[in-house]
This record gives sequence, structure tokens and C-alpha cells, in this order.
Amino acid sequence: MELQDIYYDKTEYVETTSGNKVSRQTVLCGSQNIVLNGKCIVQSDAIIRGDLANVRTGRYCIISKNAVIRPPFKKFSKGVAFFPLHMGDHVYVGENSKVNAAVVGSYVHIGKNVVIGRRCVLKDCCMIEDGSVLPPETVVPSFTLYSGSPATWTENLPDCTQDIMIEYTRNYYQHFVPRPI
Amino acid sequence: MSYLVQEDFVRYECTCGSLSPIPKLYFCRHCLKLRCGYCVCHEVDSHYCSNCMEHLPSAEAKMKKNRCVMCFDCPNCFHTLSIRATTRAPEDGSNKGHLKHYYLSCFFCRWTTRDVGIPDQIASSGNWPLKENPHQELLSSFLEHYKVVAMRERSQKDKKPIFPRRGYSTYTEKFGLTNLIARKRAGLPSLPLPGKEVNPASIPPIKPCVATDVIDTLPASYFTDVPDLTKITTIAQRHANPMIQATVASELHPQHRHFFIKRSLRCRSCEHNVSKPEYNPASIKFKIQQAAYYHVPEIRIKTFEPLRAGKPSEIILKVTNPTSHVTSLSFSPKSEVNKGGVSDSVILDSLGAPKKTVEIPRPVVQDEPNTQVELPTEPIVLPARDDAAEYDDSGDTHNFHDDANVVVWRKGNKAAVKFRIVPDRGMKPGDRSIFSFSMEYGYVNTMPTTAEQKSPQRAEMQVNVLIAPGLIVGNLD
Amino acid sequence: MALNRDLRIATGAVVCVDSKLDGPITIGPRTVVHPKACIVAEGGPIVIGESNIFEEQCLIKHNANANTDRPRTLKIGSNNVFEVGCVISAKSVGDNNVFESNCFVGPEIEVGNGCIIGVGISLERPEKLPDNLVITGGNYNRTIAADKPPAQTLQLDFLTKVLPNYHHLRKPKDRPNVL
Repeated sequence: MELQDIYYDKTEYVETTSGNKVSRQTVLCGSQNIVLNGKCIVQSDAIIRGDLANVRTGRYCIISKNAVIRPPFKKFSKGVAFFPLHMGDHVYVGENSKVNAAVVGSYVHIGKNVVIGRRCVLKDCCMIEDGSVLPPETVVPSFTLYSGSPATWTENLPDCTQDIMIEYTRNYYQHFVPRPI
Repeated sequence: MSYLVQEDFVRYECTCGSLSPIPKLYFCRHCLKLRCGYCVCHEVDSHYCSNCMEHLPSAEAKMKKNRCVMCFDCPNCFHTLSIRATTRAPEDGSNKGHLKHYYLSCFFCRWTTRDVGIPDQIASSGNWPLKENPHQELLSSFLEHYKVVAMRERSQKDKKPIFPRRGYSTYTEKFGLTNLIARKRAGLPSLPLPGKEVNPASIPPIKPCVATDVIDTLPASYFTDVPDLTKITTIAQRHANPMIQATVASELHPQHRHFFIKRSLRCRSCEHNVSKPEYNPASIKFKIQQAAYYHVPEIRIKTFEPLRAGKPSEIILKVTNPTSHVTSLSFSPKSEVNKGGVSDSVILDSLGAPKKTVEIPRPVVQDEPNTQVELPTEPIVLPARDDAAEYDDSGDTHNFHDDANVVVWRKGNKAAVKFRIVPDRGMKPGDRSIFSFSMEYGYVNTMPTTAEQKSPQRAEMQVNVLIAPGLIVGNLD
Repeated sequence: MALNRDLRIATGAVVCVDSKLDGPITIGPRTVVHPKACIVAEGGPIVIGESNIFEEQCLIKHNANANTDRPRTLKIGSNNVFEVGCVISAKSVGDNNVFESNCFVGPEIEVGNGCIIGVGISLERPEKLPDNLVITGGNYNRTIAADKPPAQTLQLDFLTKVLPNYHHLRKPKDRPNVL
């Protein structure tokens, strides 16, 4: 089924020269530490915690409503350090999901209401089903679908996942348009 | 929209007859046929641990019982255990500084090795004690016995005429599922073995299991005491470690993590790979990748009018040509035989050997079309895919003489085609409407099929497509 | 932002302006309230102890109880962690508890000490949670841990150092606690 147009209020969103579309209703803490590499969409009420550590996303990342991107911390004997959070290209983060991962690869699909625990590593081309809970320090290998609480391997993804995700995020970006007046 | 998150609205009929969405299909460029996961050979390329990403060849993995040496699973919730360190003052009171002690802990359910009395280790890699299988001795005596039996069988097999060797080994060969066992499974009488008169004394003896009549009665506490569910293991926890099957939580023991596999797929009739990933588990690249997604025109539903039983409604399908050659699509009613492609030009495979054909049993297709469809009569030409055109916002340079009532939109290698569908009269609201047709398309095979034919070959392909756009919303009136 | 006259913040607490604090709330020393955290004292005052962490999108609700006409105080002990997106309307909360992301603790629940309510766990029936209870997973597995979860003192040190660099804070008003 082809994606329908998603309309947004033109006054609510800011579009940068690199094509990022960011809602004014988001909370970008420590915005000097947040890099969105172009053509990203950050929707209303999403929170990106750049104050804790650097957050960098690739191109065509979609961060849906109410999602939280939060660098993870690790305890050491001498103190606590927050790790930078890197996200690859063509990543989709569903509504209400909390991402505490250390690394999110490229072509990753994170469903709705997902909780990604601290310091998880999501490799390229993987998918987390809606409502899953990824415990801290989980590694999700490529071409797998994880679901459940705690999330475990459920299925393998098709070999052409990379192109499906590229298509999907590009399509989403193209269909994310201001409401015609 | 994404295939990953939606149900399968459009399904293609594989050569074997099963229905799959296009991302799950493969296209063998040698036999020019669609293949799905059920009609290809799956081969294990490498084993890897999904946690530490260490990868091993099959033989080595087998030695390690297909489990990672470094990583452990939580016996309570099956998440991977993490190593945690604590500092503790040395017990003898010396001032050598604090010693680090390590224990395993689950970050999900908070289970730790301390819960079950496994002592902390001094090295982080830890020589974690493993629970011995209580039946180890018996099992190894069986192993010894059957090893000799298997060896004997193999020596007899070697005497038989040798078949031309394939470049790969099948599961049956790898795991010793010989003809003999296959016959037994099928319920056929076993073949008399020549040379059976080998001295049986050389086989290590095994002690057969003996059934007993005496069964201990359950202790009375089972009936009188209230069970404490926080201390009793679940069925899943017991089955995770079938050798021990701890019944109380204090006997749970961490186990080494199972390996994941990377697998390649091979067409069953021509024995060429249709998918071969790179060896490294972190890589998402392929050495050979013949997914149908890159070769077969893709059909998607764009929009459709609400479906009512007996009432014609319009549906717009978007077709995309993924190949780098112009193709032309034409539609006809669903054909009985799903040819996949006319393969007259590829009777010989690339080695020049006669092609072996394997008949694959056709599964029963449950979904029967219940909706009539009016198909466009004129073929639709789709230009080649051009990645640069994605960024080109200018109007279309191509000149197509399309019927505006059929082709409603066109851009690059994509076109939107209008169909009219009529759900059958008897359908009730809530029923799923399904229609099908056969799509013929031109395919340019760039694979040199024979030594003489170096130039790309054109072939006419055909595939049956089943489309289930949605549910009936009401009746005619 | 409307001035909340009933808000008392002890010195040493870090409370971001971006958080939502409604009603009579007392926040103890070394407690950190992240931006977009939400604490609503509708049914009576909320008294929060020392060294707690309230992460973004967490919601602490103290609902009015129709059966009693006198406002009741909701006491939250010390060293608790309320992770992103948890919703807590418990009757009382002890010390050293961890409420993980997206968990829900309904009214009429008394939380003891050292409990861990796992990700996405939803508790609605009235009960009193015993000390060191761990509830996790899709099947709501309950176990009793040997120890209470470790205190987050190191994380608190880091946050009290870093958050003031990026956020405006609510001024501590260490008035004598007269409730």
C-alpha cells in the first residue's frame, strides 16, 4: 500500500537548509551537541537529550511523536559517563519509543512504544517490533526482527531490507508536506 | 509503504505455487524463474554469536556445540548476561589495594550468578563453572558406538559408484541422514547391506535403557504445601537446558549462548546461488544477490474506492520497473500454469551441462479470488530505472502514448495504472476482497547464458499476482 | 510559567524549569528533576526525599481520593529512580526503588523499598509490594532480589554538574517545612 501524504502545520515546523524538518514542539536539550545530517524529520513532543552527550543522526532519520533519544550512561568505579549516541542513515523511530542505545546502525526500523535499553547496539538492517523491550546491552544483529519483552529473535528480514528502508524513509520524507491552504 | 510493517496486500505466485510478497522472493537469473524460501536450498555459511559478533566456520562451531565460548544467556529470562565488577578489600587484610571481582548479571531480570551460589571470579573472562550433564557418561558411550556404526556405513557407501561431486554438501550428508535412515523414516524396509557380516565385537558396547515398573510416589509436600511461584522454574526455563531441567530457581545455571547463522540460498534446479551474503556477520553486503525486488516489476496499491459487493470500483496500482532496461507490461487473466519465464534460451547452464530439472511439489493455494477485475488491454511501457532521475524534478522527457483512462500518472520508471474491480455479489461486509491476474513483462537477461551468446537476451516472463486490497464495506444498495 | 507558591526545593536539588510541578510539592536535597518531568499534586501535598531522579516524560500523580475529605500526603522516599515515561500514582513509595521506562503503578498500591518495576509493567490492582521485589518481562515474572538496586549517587553527581550548564533551574526555596 502506498504511503498517503502526511500533512503538518507550516507554522509548527522549521525546515533547515539541509532539509531537516523539526517541530517547534520538540525539546532539543543541548542543541549544540545534536547533529542531524539532513532530511531528518523530528515530530512534535520528541525529546533529544544532547545535554547528556553528543547525538548524531545520519540522513533520512524519522523521529516520530513523543519519541525520546537519550544517550546512555555507564557506571565506572570513578564516576558515570554518558556515551554519545550515533544513528545511521534511513532510521525510523516510531511514536512513543525510547532509544537509549549506544549505536543504531543504518536502515533500522524501530516500531511504536518500544524501549531500547542502555548501551544497546542495533546493527544495520534490523527491526524492532511495536511494543518490544530491548534489555540493556543487547546486540541486535543484521537482518533480524526482534520482538517481545525481553525482545528476542523472531524472524529474519528479507535480503533487500536495505532498499526497502531507503525507499520507506525517502517516501516518508516526500510525503511529509505542509498542509495546503 | 514499507513491506516490513504492513500486511501483504500484493502477493506473487512463486514458481512452486506458494504466495509471497515480493521482498521474500528470489529470481534465479539462470533458469529465469521466481524462487521463494521454500523452494531453494538453504546452506549455512558461517556461525556467529549475536552478542560478541565472533564468527566461526561450521566445523569449528560444531566442535563448540554451536555455542559461543564467551557469552552466556540468563537462565531466568534468556537475555544475555553481562559481566559486572565489584571491588573488595583483600580478605587477608594486606594493603595490596582493592581486588576486582567479577560476576555475571542480567540487566533485564536482575538475576546474578550470586543468586545461585556461583563464586565470583578474579579474571573478567572468568572460567565460569559449567554444570556437567548428569548423563554424560551414558551419552558418550552412545556416541562412541554410533561413530563406529556410521564409519562402517560410510565405508560401504564408498564402495558404491561415485556420483559427480557437487560443490556443496547437503544437510543429509553433513548430519549423516543417510539413505538408510531416510528409508526407515519413510517406512520402507531397509536394504540388505552387503558386508554386514563385519565382526560385531569391534563395536563398543552400549548399555540399553531399561524400563522400570517401580515409580516413586510423589512426596506429600506436593499436596500439602502452598507452592512459592517465585522459587519454581517455568517450563520454558526447564526446556532451555534440557540436560538438567532444574525445578527450583536456585538450581538455574547460565548456559553458553547459541550461535546465529548466516546462510546462502541456492536454486534447487540449476544449483546456482540466488543469495550469498558476505562472510562477516557485521556486513550487510552480498556477494550474490538475486532478490526478485531487483528484477521483477513491483506492484503496489495506491488508492481504491470503497468496495461494495456487486458494485464496480476503481483501484489504482503503482507499477515500478526495478531493472536497468525498458520493459513492457501486459495483463491477462490468471493462467493455470505459472511459467515464471520462457526458458528456451537457457536450456544449457553456464557450464554447458544439461540442465537438471527438479519438480517441486505445488502447495495448495487457499486464497481463491472472489472479485472480478477488468484489465487494461494495451501494454504499458516502463522506462529503465535511473537513480539520477530521483533528484530530477523537471517534467517527464519521455513521450508515451498512454490512454489517459488507464495510465493516470507517470514518473521515471514508475506508472500508476487504473483497474476496475467488481467484488462478487454474494460477499458480505467484512469479507476480504481478493482478485488476481497474470502479468507478462519483458526481461533482459544480462547473464551470458552460453559461450556464444554474449549479448543480453530478451525473454518474456509471466507471473500470477494476487491482490487483496481490503474488506468489503457494504452491499450494493 | 505560573509561579507555584507551594513549591519547596531544598538546596542541592536540581530542578529544571522545563518540568511541570503542580500543587504543594516539597523536593529534598540532591534530587534531580529532568526537563519535561511532570509531578502533579492534586489530592494533597507530595513530599519527595533525597537523591531521587525524575527523568523526562515521567508523571507522578497524586489523585484526590473521594472517600476521604482530608488531603493526604504522598510520601516518596530517597534514592528512587523514575525512568523516562513512567506513570506513578501510588499511595506511597519507599526508598531505593527503580521505576523503569513506561511502567504504570496505579493508585491503591504501596511500594516498599528496593523494588524494581520493569519496563512496560502495569500494576493496577491494590496491593502492597514487598521489599526487593523485581517484576519484569511480558509475563510479569516476580522474583525477590537478594539486594536492593545500587544507589545512583554517581549519576546524580554527574547530573548535578552537567544539567545547570544547559538548563535554567528553579531556585531553591529552603523555607522551613510547615505542612
